[in-house]
Amino acid sequence: MGLGWYIARRVAWSFVVTFIIVSVTWGLLTAAPNPEVQQAAQQAAMAGDNPAEAQDRVRQLRGLDRPLYEQYIGYMTNIYTLNWGWSDSRAQPVTEAVTEALYYTVQYSVPWTLLVVTLGPLVGLYSSANQYSWKDHLATGFAFFGYAIPNFFFGIILLLIFGVELGWIPITYNTDVPVFSVENAIQLAVPVFVLVTGSIGGIMRVSRNESSEYMNADFVKTARAKGVSTFRIYARHVLRPTMVPLSTTMVAQLLALFTGSSILVEVVFSIPGLGRLLFRAIVAQDTSVVLGTSLFFVFVATIGNLLQDLVYTVLDPRISFDER
Amino acid sequence: MNERGGDDERNGINRRTWLKALGVAGATGLAGCSGDDGGGSTGTGSTATATDGSELGTAEGTDAAVDELPEVGGTYRTIVSSPLATMNPLYNNEQGAADVASFALDLSYGFRPGTRFFPQLYDLTTDGGNVWVASLREGLQFGGDYGEVTAEDFVYQITQLHQSEWAATADASSWPSEVNVEQTGTYEFQIELPNVNPLYPETYDPLLYPVPKALVQPFVEEENAQGLEDNPELVELQYTEGGNLGAYTLEQWNRSSRLVFTRNEEYYLREADDVPDLFGNAPYFDRVEVQVAQEQSARLGALEAGQTDTAAVPPNRVTEFDGMDGVDVYQVPQPFNEVCVYNMRDNGWNAGPGNLFRKQKFRQGLGCAVDKQSLVRGVFRDYAQVQYTWQPPWSQWYPGDEEILQFGTGELYGPEAARSRIREAVSDTDYGYDGGQLLDPSGNQVELSLYHSAGQNTERNMGQYIAQEFADNAGIQVNLQAIDGVQFVNNYWQQQVPENPDQYEWSNGPYNAGPREVTGAKPWDMAIVFALNTYPLNPTTADVFFQRDSSYNPYGYYPSWNAKELFQEARAATSQEEIQPIFTEIFKRVAEDQPMGMLAFPADTIGYSSDIVGPAENFFSGWNSAAWYRDE
Repeated sequence: MGLGWYIARRVAWSFVVTFIIVSVTWGLLTAAPNPEVQQAAQQAAMAGDNPAEAQDRVRQLRGLDRPLYEQYIGYMTNIYTLNWGWSDSRAQPVTEAVTEALYYTVQYSVPWTLLVVTLGPLVGLYSSANQYSWKDHLATGFAFFGYAIPNFFFGIILLLIFGVELGWIPITYNTDVPVFSVENAIQLAVPVFVLVTGSIGGIMRVSRNESSEYMNADFVKTARAKGVSTFRIYARHVLRPTMVPLSTTMVAQLLALFTGSSILVEVVFSIPGLGRLLFRAIVAQDTSVVLGTSLFFVFVATIGNLLQDLVYTVLDPRISFDER
Repeated sequence: MNERGGDDERNGINRRTWLKALGVAGATGLAGCSGDDGGGSTGTGSTATATDGSELGTAEGTDAAVDELPEVGGTYRTIVSSPLATMNPLYNNEQGAADVASFALDLSYGFRPGTRFFPQLYDLTTDGGNVWVASLREGLQFGGDYGEVTAEDFVYQITQLHQSEWAATADASSWPSEVNVEQTGTYEFQIELPNVNPLYPETYDPLLYPVPKALVQPFVEEENAQGLEDNPELVELQYTEGGNLGAYTLEQWNRSSRLVFTRNEEYYLREADDVPDLFGNAPYFDRVEVQVAQEQSARLGALEAGQTDTAAVPPNRVTEFDGMDGVDVYQVPQPFNEVCVYNMRDNGWNAGPGNLFRKQKFRQGLGCAVDKQSLVRGVFRDYAQVQYTWQPPWSQWYPGDEEILQFGTGELYGPEAARSRIREAVSDTDYGYDGGQLLDPSGNQVELSLYHSAGQNTERNMGQYIAQEFADNAGIQVNLQAIDGVQFVNNYWQQQVPENPDQYEWSNGPYNAGPREVTGAKPWDMAIVFALNTYPLNPTTADVFFQRDSSYNPYGYYPSWNAKELFQEARAATSQEEIQPIFTEIFKRVAEDQPMGMLAFPADTIGYSSDIVGPAENFFSGWNSAAWYRDE
């Protein structure tokens, strides 16, 4: 059984996981009291009508009087055909809202992810190679600074310095500029910098500690003794085993990227992305958008885990497909 | 709307009323004041040079002839804190969305400085105050194929939508079935009221957006409310494109980020002969850009850096911004007051037996405990006016300082004034003073909760000040509690509507679901979460706050004066002269009865680029926003 069969099984399992999550979501939604039904009862009571009849009318209108299995099938069909409902807080279909927001989130999250994924391990490795030197302390200080300072606060400070005082960057995000343009790069530079400094710390530290384990490992000493170049030792013999546990951290980082940090940074820099969409929908109690955005995160998480499992096997050939 | 929350999310039972009030008067269009973080609003100090003589403005000086019309060009940029949910004129009930929509679509009328009626789409006239005639301008055009605006469009909208049982439009409460509306000509319709009302336009009830009959008719025939609410032609104002009903045309709307409007060459007010000359070539900007920025620092930073032409400025930064070269800060009076609400329902007064809030003398005692002048100075940085009754001092209906009891000022302030009244109030109970502290029957100091909106600095400061004053002057300990506005509405402010409302003398919806024994889910004593509307143009609307069985009495107030009768008299009056003494009597009674702690009238403080010509420091600032321009 080879890699192909392993991948096929993992992909199939991802579908099962999303199916379970979506089903559980349906169960929770069905069990929760429907605000529309409650509101109808309240309005009827205010108007002197029968609240029970009003509730029945709304249930009928919304199809809530159908058998549960029918409701479930309808719900699942809608989810998988991307018919995610209507956003009351934006007066547009949920899929349209999510797509619009994703367009802007991708613009800063791709450079952010690439920078974190490449710079994090490299800085950690550099730090490890120069352990306890001033270079190590500088890198460690940088990592802890980024980790410790709240993103939104750091963002506001940079916005005031570079936007208000120096006038180098626009203070509010301009959606009119082309994606691949200097203007866009300028307006995204600070948000990406803030996010990179905020998320690189964890990866850098894990990378440093993992690398340190291998710096004096037998196979590294052997490589040195054989006259292998320092660059090759770090790249092939130290970085590669370091990346195995690190890939787990990275997936978690990717998820945090789309939820936690991005909300605050999007608010500060007025970027109309997924974080703001979710935040606004929660505040406005726009259930359809909250559900739609959450489902998107579920898919990202599932795909992230899938990639993580695949990356394991590529990075460390000793990991067997058969036993997994 | 009756109330305004401490944040941008306006929580209210009828936000449309507030929306209308602002849409035509205070903060319409270019004002862009919806960026207020609730950092409080503000008042009396002088910042930018006022263009009118008073908070209501004056009739003079606004119609001045102009030698040369301003040049057209450039972009007007404004910034708001929340994205818009919808601009559907039939269903929108958010102030921010109405402000933005007003760039592309005018409301039917407004008021100018001096409280003068300003007919936009139609004029309203009456002989006796019972039948009002709406006369439309000719030549008003919808966009697309919808043709000319006629009386039929308005009559259809009123009778088939607002007065229907299925559509549940935002204006439904303004058009009860007793109001009879009939088309009397192509450009004329009449509104027959069940009672005489000389101040009918001031109620904003007859205020409408034009909506084509042909657009809504299919939904009416199917009674499809959801379809009507979600229709993109309405939601995105597509039906105005190519028409002449607004100064600008909506060109682009990115839901979370920005809106762009372009100049409408055909704007109908340019041809009108009953408007100031300045409208002759209006509007004067090629583009209007509305940016959404949730973070206050970003909005203020943009104003400071000249990247926006207007943004709301919190009171603690007014001086700083007003001192900048490129920015002027305007104080715009607004009708909402800051009140400390006492809960007189059964879930109020959790400090011991009984409910002392129900006693007038006790409330008067609390009124004497807070120094309102210091509150205005310390908390609102002097950008507010002191409140003694249910009208701002600048209202034409304000009875005058000498007519009313001014609790919280002069002799009616201080420990002696407060305690003597409270002593009198508790004389028939087991409460009493000992060593300056008000003690409950068990001998413990009376402790009361005071709720304020979480995250609102001005409100929290006000709460801390009240707590300190109550402790010093009334001997009552106040525990400050921060709470989310929506949570407060759901669990405290609203009552649970009883299963069988008929068992009570009245049950008027969630904000007055019955007498005092009907309560919200959780106990509370006092709250400063909401600012309430004083309706300075037509205070008859304010009766809702002072009647035990009205639709809005979350605090369970039973007036000890003839509120219902007096407000009915005011409603039945046939002229403004007849109304004046009645209002004077009403507001004297309110000041005396202290239905709640009436504290201050903060003004909105709005920063504008100093080259923008048009904003004014009066209640009607923005009435002529289509004619604002940049003086290069």
